[in-house]
Amino acid sequence: MLLRAVLAYALLLAFTLVFIAPVLFMIIGSLKPDELVLAEAGSLRAFLPESVSPDNYRAVFERVPFGAYLLSSLIVNGLIVGLGLLVNAFAGYALARLRWWGREAMLGLVLAVLVIPFEAIAIPLFYQLSWLGWRDDWLVQAIPFVANPLAIFLFYSFFLGLPRELEEAARVDGAGVLRTFFLVVLPNAKAAFASVAIVLFLFHWGMYLWPLLMTTSEGVRPLPLGIANFYTLPPLQWGDIMAFGVLMVLPVLILFVVFQRWFVRGVASTGVKG
Amino acid sequence: MHRARFTEAPAAWLLMTPALVGLMLFLLLPFALAVVLSFTNLRMASPLPLEFVGLANYTLAFQETALPRALLNNLLFALVVVPAQTALGLALAVLLDRPLRGRTVFRTLFFLPVVFPLSLIAVVWVLIFAPGPDGLLNAALGVLSFGLWEPRDFLNDPHWALPAVMLTSIWQGVGFQMIVLLAGLQAIPRQLYEAAAVDGAGRWRQFLHVTLPGLRNPLIFVVIVTTILSFRVFDQVRIMTRGGPQDASNTVIHEMVRTAFDQGHVAMGAAMSVVFFVVILGIALAQRRLLRQRGEVS
Amino acid sequence: MISRLAWSDPRGWVGVAVLLLAGCAGEPGAGDSERVLELWAHAGREAERRTLEAQIRRFEAERPEVRVELTWIPEGSYNGQVQAAALAGRLPDVLEFDGPYLYSYAWQGHLRPLDDLLPEALREDLLPSILAQGTYRDHLYGIGTFDSGLGLWADRDRLEEAGVRIPDGPDDAWSTAEFTTLLETLAAIDDDGPVLDLKLNYTGEWFSYAFSPLLQSAGGDLVDREPQGVATGTLDSPESVSAMRTLQSWIERGLVDPNLDDAAFTQGRVPLAWGGHWNYPAYRDALGEHLLLLPLPRHGDTLVTGQGSWQWGITRNAPDPELAMDLLAFLLRPEEVLAMSEANGGVPATHRAVLRSADYGPDGPLHLFVRQLAEGYAMPRPRTPAYPVISDAFDRAFQDIRHGADPGEALTEAARRIDRELRDNRHYPPVAAPTTGYRSAAFPALAQTIATESAEGAITAPDRQRPFVPAPDPGR
Repeated sequence: MLLRAVLAYALLLAFTLVFIAPVLFMIIGSLKPDELVLAEAGSLRAFLPESVSPDNYRAVFERVPFGAYLLSSLIVNGLIVGLGLLVNAFAGYALARLRWWGREAMLGLVLAVLVIPFEAIAIPLFYQLSWLGWRDDWLVQAIPFVANPLAIFLFYSFFLGLPRELEEAARVDGAGVLRTFFLVVLPNAKAAFASVAIVLFLFHWGMYLWPLLMTTSEGVRPLPLGIANFYTLPPLQWGDIMAFGVLMVLPVLILFVVFQRWFVRGVASTGVKG
Repeated sequence: MHRARFTEAPAAWLLMTPALVGLMLFLLLPFALAVVLSFTNLRMASPLPLEFVGLANYTLAFQETALPRALLNNLLFALVVVPAQTALGLALAVLLDRPLRGRTVFRTLFFLPVVFPLSLIAVVWVLIFAPGPDGLLNAALGVLSFGLWEPRDFLNDPHWALPAVMLTSIWQGVGFQMIVLLAGLQAIPRQLYEAAAVDGAGRWRQFLHVTLPGLRNPLIFVVIVTTILSFRVFDQVRIMTRGGPQDASNTVIHEMVRTAFDQGHVAMGAAMSVVFFVVILGIALAQRRLLRQRGEVS
Repeated sequence: MISRLAWSDPRGWVGVAVLLLAGCAGEPGAGDSERVLELWAHAGREAERRTLEAQIRRFEAERPEVRVELTWIPEGSYNGQVQAAALAGRLPDVLEFDGPYLYSYAWQGHLRPLDDLLPEALREDLLPSILAQGTYRDHLYGIGTFDSGLGLWADRDRLEEAGVRIPDGPDDAWSTAEFTTLLETLAAIDDDGPVLDLKLNYTGEWFSYAFSPLLQSAGGDLVDREPQGVATGTLDSPESVSAMRTLQSWIERGLVDPNLDDAAFTQGRVPLAWGGHWNYPAYRDALGEHLLLLPLPRHGDTLVTGQGSWQWGITRNAPDPELAMDLLAFLLRPEEVLAMSEANGGVPATHRAVLRSADYGPDGPLHLFVRQLAEGYAMPRPRTPAYPVISDAFDRAFQDIRHGADPGEALTEAARRIDRELRDNRHYPPVAAPTTGYRSAAFPALAQTIATESAEGAITAPDRQRPFVPAPDPGR
């Protein structure tokens, strides 16, 4: 039994190292002089550099407005998650708990729309909004994604499963529907909010297609588009590109490590509900 | 009490409206627009009058553009990535489903690529796929094969471009499968395993008869999600290969963006959007039907 | 007791409002006396970018009331960005674009004719090829600060070592037969095999620009240059196919380096590189005195080479076209033209600058480029709005051919694609300029009606004292 456990552990360890190699490659590459990144890629020096220096990081900030890209990503995603939590929670609650004549139709609508992947409407939406003159700002990158059928469905499922006692108590006290919702239900929905926030964040943080179509200025360009454009900006310096990559994932990485239990729970919850 | 029940409607509508407006303006309206535009000859770059052209865009899309090849590529993608990623995710979930020292660390590391934006992964893997014996992957394969591996220019090789993109997708997505399946594994009651062990079932038989059936729902979920994601591949293709060489790694969405945005042929792009939607719908329905989830009322 | 709802608190709403306002990429808060010019340029090589930035700073120093907002656009999605911005009514005041895209933008009505804005003295200073490239249907829409040179860069020592004949001018170019033999001779003494760099790692426009001259010197072309001409019969003519077949043979025989690190020539892996003026700064740094500029090989009796490059235009809705022209005139001053020429190796666009150029003067290392443009060896790319489609079709055909496809089939397929585009656009009939703004792009029929009804409002070229005749197309 012990042998089997040790073998399994060793296997896991080996596989993990291979699996995580690209990340290590990126980190080490960001600390090496540009020429050496490609030249030494095939040797162990890809992971064990002779010397390290932060020059590439400085170069990133000199060559492109990285801070602006980060700010854009934060603002756009902040809007999507912030507004999205509210808008979708409202809808989820209305569908789950309230009795109204439009309920069946609206629920059907949400479920129907759930099937439409973003890419199916990316082009017509691009044309639609550009024709209206709405492009190249933060709002156009955020607002179209606030109403999210999956988030509505997750909230709907959650609210369905919430015990009714709290709401009934509030109703007995004479509170109307809205008061009950905001003062009683929401404070008890923290878990759902956390899960949906993480799902929304994971879906939209890496958005590339939409900003590609809708942005031009560097002032509103988010990080995923930033690195793609940086990769095509002459001269091709791999050390700088790797440094950009590290800078780009660092905030998310830190967030993830700190909140990983929530991340895991959030992702797993889509599986359970789906 | 009756009155209280029906006065829920105004509040309900108040709560529902923001989402409703959003869904209508940014999902339903463009969807309808896609269908309408697909029957016209709308181009970004043309001041000529707009004309109705019937099904011309659809026929042209299948005869003249790279759409058929792209669809085939997406299908291949699904056929390879779905089993590979799921099997790998399952293996990892099983490995981690035991009290292991540092289990959280392993779980974190495997989930790491999931939080990386695809565009970043694409750029880093371009470097990994560098041709010649100096490229990381070429060198690693050379070592593993004791020198039998001939260095390849993956991204420019018609036979390796699509597999290369597949590899990056698998690498990025395995963590997601793992987490969902791990949660599923942990939901299987221990008694079932104990009962099976009492009946004399060994490890493997327990896996077949307790684990897999217990994982039915999460497995179905990840299969459906991964299949649909296989048809949505865009970022890596745009950055790593631009669909090349000779459309070897072209995908539906990439061809659609090329047609509508790079070439300005919006109507044709709209037609491709509609085709894409129909394909996705077909997959979702077919899989739902084939693998009816337990406990689901159809 | 149930307390007040959180959002009755006005501070929360102010926060949301601030966030929303911050989300709008604000219009620059221009002071009353400040004049702003919005400029888009392609994100090219670093030296080019630095030079343009410096030039803009010098312009702003001279004109303190002017502020120039420069946006770098990546080349890979340049046309998409322009079209999307045009649709949204968000084009900048001054727009840079790769030469052959001018015809499409002019036909669509995005560009303002420059005939009335261009100072006469400047017009006379410009090279005829610049004016030819920038003219569409008798109006001038674009002017470039440099023209392009296309040729063969060579390592003199390696050629002499192999004992090959070195051409001394465009009239002395190698024939492709001679060139093929030469490649094999060089390969025999080369370390790793490939001896020629065709810049196969480049994307997009390069292939059409760099290799259509080979078709043309063979007697073929991308498309028949007559007004209603089509591609079938020209692009897939036996001459064109023969040229591409020869090129394919070089690749298939392993004589061509894939150039994935963009350094095959600078690192000395190959002694010959098909390239252009933009390679000069890096190649000069790498090879110094040993760098040689030679004409391309010819597949027929006479050499043909390419011309045309990035040029500047003023958009139709620019609020201050005179200021925009002031900026362009600044960029065309001899010292500024020379600065850009030194940065990217391009042929200076004005006579005065050429005379002052060390590189392009009669004794200069790049004089071949000037000779090619001046003596009629350079052929402009087809001046049609269909050019992007022609370029894309040829690019696809080239990629197929480079990977082993039959050149005849690939070119026939490309020709078919081009012809369909020409048909779908009715060979680009003249369309009245929309005067109602960007929304008319979606309802062109409406725009046409309005435009014809208000013809007085449309911008027309004013009467000029001297008729402007663009340089004749050196068609072959």
